[in-house]
Amino acid sequence: MPVTDFQGTFGRSLLSFRRDQVDSNTVLTGTSPNMDAELDSFQRQVAERFIDLNASSSGVELLSLEWIGNLLDSFLCCQEEFRAIVFNHRSQISTSPMNRLISDYYERSIKALDVCNAIRDGIEQIRQWQKLSDIVISALDSHRPVGEGQLRRAKKALIDLAIGMLDEKDASSSTTSLAHRNRSFGRAKDNHNRSMGHFRSLSWSVSRSWSASKQLQALASNLTTPKQNDVAASNGLALPVYTMTSVLLFVMWVLVAAIPCQDRGLQVNFFVPRQFQWAAPVMSLHDKIVEESKRRERKNCCGLLKEIGRIEKSSRVMNELVDSIHFPMSEEKESEVKQRVEELVEVHEALKNGLDPFERKVREVFHRIVRSRTESLDSLC
Amino acid sequence: MAENGEEKLLAVARHIAKTLGHNESMADDILQIFSTFDGRFSREKLSEDQPSEEDGSSSGVAVLDRALNSLDSQISRFIAADQPIWSDPADSAAFLDAIDELVNITREWSHLSSEKPIGLCLSRAEDMTQQAMFRIEEEFRSLMDQGTESFPVNHRFDSEEEDEEDEDEEYRNEDDSQIPVAQPLTDYDLIIDALSSATINDLHEITKRMLAAGFGKACSHVYSGSRREFLEESMSRLGLQKLSIEDVHKMQWQELEDEIDRWIKAANVALRILFPSERRLCDRVFFGFSSAADLSFMEVCRGSTIQLLNFADAIAIGSRSPERLFKVLDVFETMRDLMGEFESVFSDQFCLVLRNEAVTIWKRLGEAVRGIFMELENLIRRDPAKAAVPGGGLHPITRYVMNYLRAACRSRQTLEQVFEESNGVPSKDSTLLTVQMSWIMELLESNLEVKSKVYKDPALSYVFLMNNGRYIVQKVRDGELGVLLGEDWIRKHNAKVKQYHMSYQRSSWSKMIGLLKVDNAAAGMNGLGKVMKEKLKEFNMQFEEVCKAHSTWVVFDEQLREELRISLAKLLLPAYGNFIGRFQNLGDIGKNADRYIKFGVEDIEARVNELFKGTTTARK
Repeated sequence: MPVTDFQGTFGRSLLSFRRDQVDSNTVLTGTSPNMDAELDSFQRQVAERFIDLNASSSGVELLSLEWIGNLLDSFLCCQEEFRAIVFNHRSQISTSPMNRLISDYYERSIKALDVCNAIRDGIEQIRQWQKLSDIVISALDSHRPVGEGQLRRAKKALIDLAIGMLDEKDASSSTTSLAHRNRSFGRAKDNHNRSMGHFRSLSWSVSRSWSASKQLQALASNLTTPKQNDVAASNGLALPVYTMTSVLLFVMWVLVAAIPCQDRGLQVNFFVPRQFQWAAPVMSLHDKIVEESKRRERKNCCGLLKEIGRIEKSSRVMNELVDSIHFPMSEEKESEVKQRVEELVEVHEALKNGLDPFERKVREVFHRIVRSRTESLDSLC
Repeated sequence: MAENGEEKLLAVARHIAKTLGHNESMADDILQIFSTFDGRFSREKLSEDQPSEEDGSSSGVAVLDRALNSLDSQISRFIAADQPIWSDPADSAAFLDAIDELVNITREWSHLSSEKPIGLCLSRAEDMTQQAMFRIEEEFRSLMDQGTESFPVNHRFDSEEEDEEDEDEEYRNEDDSQIPVAQPLTDYDLIIDALSSATINDLHEITKRMLAAGFGKACSHVYSGSRREFLEESMSRLGLQKLSIEDVHKMQWQELEDEIDRWIKAANVALRILFPSERRLCDRVFFGFSSAADLSFMEVCRGSTIQLLNFADAIAIGSRSPERLFKVLDVFETMRDLMGEFESVFSDQFCLVLRNEAVTIWKRLGEAVRGIFMELENLIRRDPAKAAVPGGGLHPITRYVMNYLRAACRSRQTLEQVFEESNGVPSKDSTLLTVQMSWIMELLESNLEVKSKVYKDPALSYVFLMNNGRYIVQKVRDGELGVLLGEDWIRKHNAKVKQYHMSYQRSSWSKMIGLLKVDNAAAGMNGLGKVMKEKLKEFNMQFEEVCKAHSTWVVFDEQLREELRISLAKLLLPAYGNFIGRFQNLGDIGKNADRYIKFGVEDIEARVNELFKGTTTARK
């Protein structure tokens, strides 16, 4: 994976360079054919990565854990290449307009850090659902014939799961009715005031007022294509900064779209003019995801992640199936249960294997953003 | 003791059954009656050995069926109960026994499950287990919540049991000392028992049953949900808010300082008291199930730990403004001092991530400290040489940097640690902190040199450099900074101040001293007199001018001022005395010498003593 390619070379802190800089402010000013090639190559590489992400031939489904993982890998690669450019032209970074542009980028990247943290909470949320689906599976996935008790246990977990997966916005209204349904399982009277406790979701690590949607808007605010005179004055360096900002925004937008988080919302003005090589594949992905979010069955979901959709669907079907079962169970029903359980096991396994590496990747994105910003602050000295 | 008493009781019951029952089935019926009477007389306990007749499977099914009937009636009674089962110890014990027996029976017969009638019975047993588990999960939840919601209620609840036989001495002592009263915290070496021992025992008994029946996940889920809430509440009582990185960055520095203080307290309480207490509680409730205990503990502490770490992280990636150094160092030191706690409390596999995060963020705080020093360097390097300090006095930047470094060096050991972590390579005889400090001093000095060029009069430049140099040496000498930079450094810089002194003298006084030199070989008496007269005139004018100017200049250090005057007097007075002595002895001109001699030697001395007093504005 090319992610690690640059680490060795630039992973070292730039500490040792700042001292020389006092006397040698003269290096690398002005444009050169080399630099043009370097900047071109960056644009092309970004474009290639997004073309790959856009290719349906790869067999990786859009918005699956694996796909978003690939997206994060691409981000990390772009970020590394961007770092290299910033490093190579560090003398220009401290002069206008680059100092303004680059500090704007790092300001935005700080906002992305909060998104990463919110996504980490969201992953934890998915883990809770995973636990409930695990209960459903262990109740029904026995080698013995399914009895009433197991069915009841599965049903309870399914309802908890359904409540857990409601998008917060409609949660308040729907939870009550679902909670009411579930209450019949616990007969103790003093249960009433605590019944909501069963479904308490994990709390987020940010305050209640934090909003992923507002964060994205802040991340996107006033993002415009660089002005001609800025491009000229920066010898073209303004372009990779804009490119990187757009990639950052897009990646964060996808994360918020896919993973549950507080006050999700995708209403961000995201538009890249066609003249950028990467504009077409990025905009195409953007449009596909917007389309996906408008599909009827996903409209009120808590995340566009494919696995979430699958677990939601699988548990819904299972719920209906469980409701329709009467004892003694017919052979037909029994085999249907088996089949549904297998489906659920499949999604469950996908999450079990995919979530941990995914969480690490999100964390890696976080750490890289921090490191890149720190290095740039160091080299601006 | 209890065990023993129960044994006796059971033996008596068996004896009664044997003597009264004329045949096997009658005895069995009697035992059946006993078993429905009280949970202690369970079928399983009453039968000494496994019934040997189970090979005859039709009678076996009958036995199994009967046993299940009996258990069903018991369990159903409990499941239907409106009151919490655990409000009555006898009930809870009977309920647990019934569950145990159900589990045992299922296990005993499971090898025959392929036989249809037995299979049906087992499936029924399974249903019963599931229902019992729902109920016991509710009981578990309510015990957990009771314990945390309202301690007094729980306490009263416990005292009802006080005379129960399972009350042991240790428990009573603990109970007395554990009523939570807010006391000023002086020692972190304490453990809170959020739940009473009795409740913990109850929870443990339930946990055993739930795990045995395959309800481990549900049990852990309920457990961690409840404890997590308790922890979160504790954190918010410690004054810790949930802040995003952006929130922290937008905060006013003063407000943030308070927040940092609260964080330090909360982090200490959490890592030293709350988390270890949770660990202990978890280990007790899940005693014997270490994996379940580890998982539950991680789920309990994860959120609060992340909340704590996120704040530290936000500080680490926040502004590098130099005034923040001291608070950032506080956060760094707190994390450093808590590393041992992170290691020990989060030692299991599930918590590995939290432990690693803590290390990462701690290191990042070190980076932040180094970043702040870089920012300080920038500040010094970029400090513009615009307005000159009047009178060549002390520049504010010298004062700021020196006092800043002195204050920073109070945390010398921490700073040594921070800089050892950086990528630099220490040389044999200096630490990286020494390198850092000498580098900052170098930057300060070269910045001051640039600033000295602002003065039009080179002599004043030297006074300026002398003043600031002197101040730097003084501030270095009597503190940790001096230990860091070393004797050699101090010696060199003292020499430098001396050099400025000499340069000052040379630039403003050499010419005047030159005037006072008398060339004996010069023309005749008359010519000499004329020359001396001219020289004296010139001297008077220059001396007047220099004194007028230099008396407004500043030398802030009294000792330095004295040194300067003494050295000037030494230079000036003999030469002048000699000059006017010769002049007065020059015949004609000598007679009128007083007409030309404007200053007596004493006057010169007095005027020299008036130098460097500064104007009122320059002196401040």
